[in-house]
Amino acid sequence: MPRGQKSKLRAREKRRQAQIETQRSKSQRSRRAPPTTNTSAGVSCTRSDEGAKNQDEERPSTSQASASTDDPHRTPLDQKAILLVEFLLRKYNMRDPITKQDMMRQVIKKHKAHFHVILKKASELMVLAFGIDVKEVDPIRHRYVLVSKLQRTSDDRLRGEKIMPKTGLLMTILCVIFMKANCAAEEDIWEVLNVMGIYADKKHYIYGDANKLITEDFVQERYLEYRQVPNSDPPRYAFLWGPRAHAETSKMKVLEFLAKLHDTVPSAFPAWYEEALRDEEERARARFASLLRIGTTANVPSGVNLGSLSQL
Amino acid sequence: MTSSHTSVPSYMQGSTRRVGIMTDVHRRFLQLLMTHGVLEEWDVKRLQKHCYKVHDCNATVEKLEDFINNINSVLESLYIEIKKGVTEDDGRPIYALVNLATTSVSKMASDFAENELDLFRKALELIIDSETGFASSTNILNLVDQLKGKKMRKKEAEQVLQKFVQHKWLVEKEGEFTLHCRAILEMEQYIRETHPDAVKVCDLCHGLLIQGQSCETCGIKMHLPCVAKYFQSNSEPRCPHCNDYWPHEIPEVFDPEKEREAGISKSNKKPLRSRQH
Repeated sequence: MPRGQKSKLRAREKRRQAQIETQRSKSQRSRRAPPTTNTSAGVSCTRSDEGAKNQDEERPSTSQASASTDDPHRTPLDQKAILLVEFLLRKYNMRDPITKQDMMRQVIKKHKAHFHVILKKASELMVLAFGIDVKEVDPIRHRYVLVSKLQRTSDDRLRGEKIMPKTGLLMTILCVIFMKANCAAEEDIWEVLNVMGIYADKKHYIYGDANKLITEDFVQERYLEYRQVPNSDPPRYAFLWGPRAHAETSKMKVLEFLAKLHDTVPSAFPAWYEEALRDEEERARARFASLLRIGTTANVPSGVNLGSLSQL
Repeated sequence: MTSSHTSVPSYMQGSTRRVGIMTDVHRRFLQLLMTHGVLEEWDVKRLQKHCYKVHDCNATVEKLEDFINNINSVLESLYIEIKKGVTEDDGRPIYALVNLATTSVSKMASDFAENELDLFRKALELIIDSETGFASSTNILNLVDQLKGKKMRKKEAEQVLQKFVQHKWLVEKEGEFTLHCRAILEMEQYIRETHPDAVKVCDLCHGLLIQGQSCETCGIKMHLPCVAKYFQSNSEPRCPHCNDYWPHEIPEVFDPEKEREAGISKSNKKPLRSRQH
């Protein structure tokens, strides 16, 4: 055990106790009896080796519904930054696009005037604690993405899952393809990407060589299919969903992505919604059929973590 | 550009205590843990080793508990921690990154609309009130008319339930829903505070109980893994409270070694949890 670890733990204990004392006088909520053994879900790992299990020990944060200003070191803006970090982490998880509007509405709220300061603090924390960069990809519509500063490695996965592809870009392309009756001309794709500031002939500061990315990388990873339009001279090309996109995401999910970008719901696009619903039914049927065929000795791992796009 | 050894800025630290050191090993670990949402202990150990390999091949891999405590000491000021728990059905040790800055359903607010959050609250109530810890899809969908916010059709509600499953808030088994182990870790406090009378508690570990076994005489409840441990190699299991004969099958204590040797992965063991990711 590294030196000073035990005294660190003791010091932390003492500090927690002090914080609990100040909050006990303020808090009106009744306390729960803390677990004394470690078998149930929910016991923090940090307590597992502390010898003295204090009956009333509780994490100071639990009595704060939203990080309160009890801590003298915390300003309200710091509190907001912490809440913004929580918000951003959930977006990172789900690979969702992040808009300034979302952040304002859900986190910043009455501190609108301080958006930039709060975002700056939160971004700093994201880098220091998680190695994640908050990057503004669309300065006009104020859209952000979360990018890991750490280099991808081929082994960043467990049990055969792949790392997630570039945030939002692939989903955008799948979206366009879906909207164009499941086959989009290359020009259509670039039309959309150009609006986002991504060009075929210019290196993008996040995506790099975007043309290579979508015509080679994504195709190689089987997310997209890039086919020549039959009988086209000079040859023109079109994009379709690749088998991996079909496996890892669905029309409904892509439609949800689109709806979110437009701040609405999937049913606002009735024709696409109907198609997506039909697709969902078909998938449910197929899943059921495969389960019945395979029986209980499933070789296909059920609840397959469907790789990168399953989190979208 | 990435600083490899830093700690959280002083304005974010409480009082004068030393925080652990955060390196890229820890950051990569956190990113990958977050990506998976919740991981079993065995996978967590593999993940830890992988992160060391990528960044710092020569360093000795720290004991997992210390590694996690170190990370938690840094994240404490953000009200975030890596929490360890145990799955209610088969006693697997699991880890998840939980956020304690918000202690309510509002932690789901970034991903769900108002009526969807209300659907979750309704499903949660049914789950807590149920005898088995499961609420049937039918019963949940029947509450669709009572939801706050925009009107939701049953068909939409089915989709929303699947979304909860994808986001690891609920788990589905044969048309019934219960809380995902990650949700229990993250929402235990909220659940206990909002349902102080209805909530069940394990008689052994005093933790929140959603699924478990009950004594038919005195009514106390226990988690399945708690039962397994308590009655291990006891040929005449008796209720710890009223001493009556314990009428249920005693489950096995989870043994990670046995499982790995058998070569069966976790996902293969539960084919009926069809939509759990």
